[in-house]
Amino acid sequence: MLRDITLGQYYSADSFLHRLDPRVKIRFTLFYIIVSLFDRNLPFFLLLTAICVLEVLLSKVPVRYILKGMRGILVFIFVCSALNIFTTRGEAFVSVGAVAITKEGLLKASFVFWRMMMLIIVASLLTYTTTPTELTDGLEKCFHLSAGVAVGITIALRFVSVLSEELSRIMRAQEARGVDFHQGGPITRFKKLKTVIAPLFQNAINRAGNLGDAMDARCYTGGKGRTKLKPLKYDGKDIIGYIFMIVFLVLSIWLIIQF
Amino acid sequence: MIRIKDLAFEYFERDDEGNLTEMINAIRGIHFDVKKGDFVAVAGKNGSGKSTFAKILNRLLVPIEGTVVIGGLDAFDEENTMPIRRKVGMVFQNPDDQLLGSIVAEDIAFGAENLGVPSEELWKRVETAAANAGLTVAVDRRINELSGGERQKVAIAGVLAMQPECIVLDEATSMLDPKSRHEVLATIKELNEKLGITVIMITHIMEELLLADRIYVMYKGKLVMQGTKDVIFGAEDKLLEYGLECPQIVKIAKEMNERQMIRTSALYSVENLAKRIFFEHKESFYPNVTVEHIELPKDKINPVNAILFDQVSFSYGNKAILKNVSLSIKKGEYVVVMGKTGSGKSTLLQLIPALLKPNSGTVYVDGRDVFDRATDKQKLHTKVGYVFQYPEQQLFAKNVYEDVVFGPRNVGISEVEAEKRAYESIELVGLSQDVYDLPLNKLSGGERRRVALAGVLAMKPDYLILDEPLAGLDPEGRREMLQIIDLLHREAGITIVMVSHDAESAWQYADRVIYIEEGTIKKCGRPDYVFYEMRNERELLPVIMQLLIRLRELGLPVTPAPLQLDGIREIERCL
Repeated sequence: MLRDITLGQYYSADSFLHRLDPRVKIRFTLFYIIVSLFDRNLPFFLLLTAICVLEVLLSKVPVRYILKGMRGILVFIFVCSALNIFTTRGEAFVSVGAVAITKEGLLKASFVFWRMMMLIIVASLLTYTTTPTELTDGLEKCFHLSAGVAVGITIALRFVSVLSEELSRIMRAQEARGVDFHQGGPITRFKKLKTVIAPLFQNAINRAGNLGDAMDARCYTGGKGRTKLKPLKYDGKDIIGYIFMIVFLVLSIWLIIQF
Repeated sequence: MIRIKDLAFEYFERDDEGNLTEMINAIRGIHFDVKKGDFVAVAGKNGSGKSTFAKILNRLLVPIEGTVVIGGLDAFDEENTMPIRRKVGMVFQNPDDQLLGSIVAEDIAFGAENLGVPSEELWKRVETAAANAGLTVAVDRRINELSGGERQKVAIAGVLAMQPECIVLDEATSMLDPKSRHEVLATIKELNEKLGITVIMITHIMEELLLADRIYVMYKGKLVMQGTKDVIFGAEDKLLEYGLECPQIVKIAKEMNERQMIRTSALYSVENLAKRIFFEHKESFYPNVTVEHIELPKDKINPVNAILFDQVSFSYGNKAILKNVSLSIKKGEYVVVMGKTGSGKSTLLQLIPALLKPNSGTVYVDGRDVFDRATDKQKLHTKVGYVFQYPEQQLFAKNVYEDVVFGPRNVGISEVEAEKRAYESIELVGLSQDVYDLPLNKLSGGERRRVALAGVLAMKPDYLILDEPLAGLDPEGRREMLQIIDLLHREAGITIVMVSHDAESAWQYADRVIYIEEGTIKKCGRPDYVFYEMRNERELLPVIMQLLIRLRELGLPVTPAPLQLDGIREIERCL
């Protein structure tokens, strides 16, 4: 069900991570993703794991909730990492014809699986602990986006769930009129999809018009003169965050070079 | 506060070459005068121009001619745009189309942020606005998790945080269930009375007019009536002519007045009417006698019934929507399913044509498990017609005919037969032949809804399932829709299962009412019994039932569940 998607949605709680400035979180997440691409050895891998666990603890987001949100993506990660079992050369474990399962392959697959899990957990923690508005404020500052783009992103994030609900409703409505979306070749299926896409777009356009009116009515004129409910201001814990990030970075580089 | 004279506004429609093709939705010759602290209602059927008028008040639209002075500011002056919007806040119809933040506090602050209010004060404003709007949820909650009523209160709070002098509500309650509507209206009334905020309520829900001090009626872009409740409701013929009607309570009071049961009909609440009856007929009341309780007859599950739910449960993720529901519906019945938004009504309906799959339990249609392998889905969808909520939003074809013929074509009916059915069903929903080739966007909202209904009827269903077919329709549209459904039920013998918030029509038409609460069937039975059982939630009952129950409380020995649905005669009998 599309409604089950919790990935990328804000989880409301009061934690260290929630209170951290979004800029710190965005930068930290980016660094984490970049350095984790270099994992070549076990100690570094353990460091990445430790940081991931620490982040989860600091976020106060229940582990079950995080895992539930990943359910849909899990299959994808699993398949991707499982490919390594067959493509890595080494000491054969079991072999069926030309395909062989190797010890190295299994090891690599589990590493890949674990790393992808961590990447997704860390990335989703960013959105779990940061409201879309804070996130866009942060992105705006980090990447010097214009205010309009930032507001656009906020609204887009908010409408993901509205539109996905609408999509499934329209699909059911057409199904009730005898459309079977699972039957026929690619062309017929594409034609059937038209009955969903057309009204979805029409409604999205109507919504956009209404939303524009609502923004105008509330005196929106772009970024100029606009104040913020939660202005981005660094304080003590953000400094700690940055120090932690630097330590993590130095440690990572050292571990990558050392082993 | 607002002074308008000779207002005119026009929309122009141009073709691809920029030639003027049509001038639509024009409003003209409007005089409108609102003082600070007034509570004014502007009523009109769909397409009467009332929303256009609302947008002018906030300078979302700029009039073409006339005098428009809002809070002392000339609305023709471009410079005044922001000052006017600051003074006049607007709440729109659909909460989903006007909330911009993902979190309650962020959305409430949005407008005030645009005004450049400093952060510390923003937080104060958010909290005050949330409290004044009657919001009871925490301000850090996600908006997606809130109910429609709560979302609409967030929208009101967002306007309040801008500290306006006037609020314009453009059909702001039309998408809410009766309970939420009641709450939102109470909030608005309080804002007007306690904070002295001027309220201009644009609506086609007649009950809401009762709140206003003064009422304006619009028709085809013109202001056709204005005055107090006495004046407006006194001219019922004219209201009908303009596609509106009197609120239920007024109709009842008038009828009683005509039958000489009471000497005045200017009573605008159940309480006032009940008190008046008590006052004029004290001798008929026995205040100290307790009347016996009336029991709801138990409904039996009949295994041979046409639609059967056998211990059905359904959940989205961890959230249980329906819990162990058993229910049977007879062939030819007219059943209305009622309950709050989110109580599981729509889910219940969608299980019937197997659009959703229950987690446990079985749904049978004509004795067949709808999810059995042997059940032909297409046959099921032909047999069970389903009209979704706001079905006009699911139309997609290039013209009316193409959309209506879509369903029959899908299930492999011959072209000739499909064409015949399309013509028949378009006629059945009361549309003229002229519409066949019209593109869908040339029709009004109410007409599009009827096209959607025709598209379902073209499948010749035995069962017709409708999810809130009355939502958003004006009084005239509702009457027409109810008549069409009634006709399908009586003449074509179609079984009707309908989700509705409208107690009045359920009372009038339904054989049975099912009341759902948090995924279980709370009450089920003949409308009079069910409504009597629900007497603790007064605002959910038909007005006549509210009156009967109130009179009973005051000591008049009326039977709240009369066999004939004419409650007025029952009261007359007791006086």
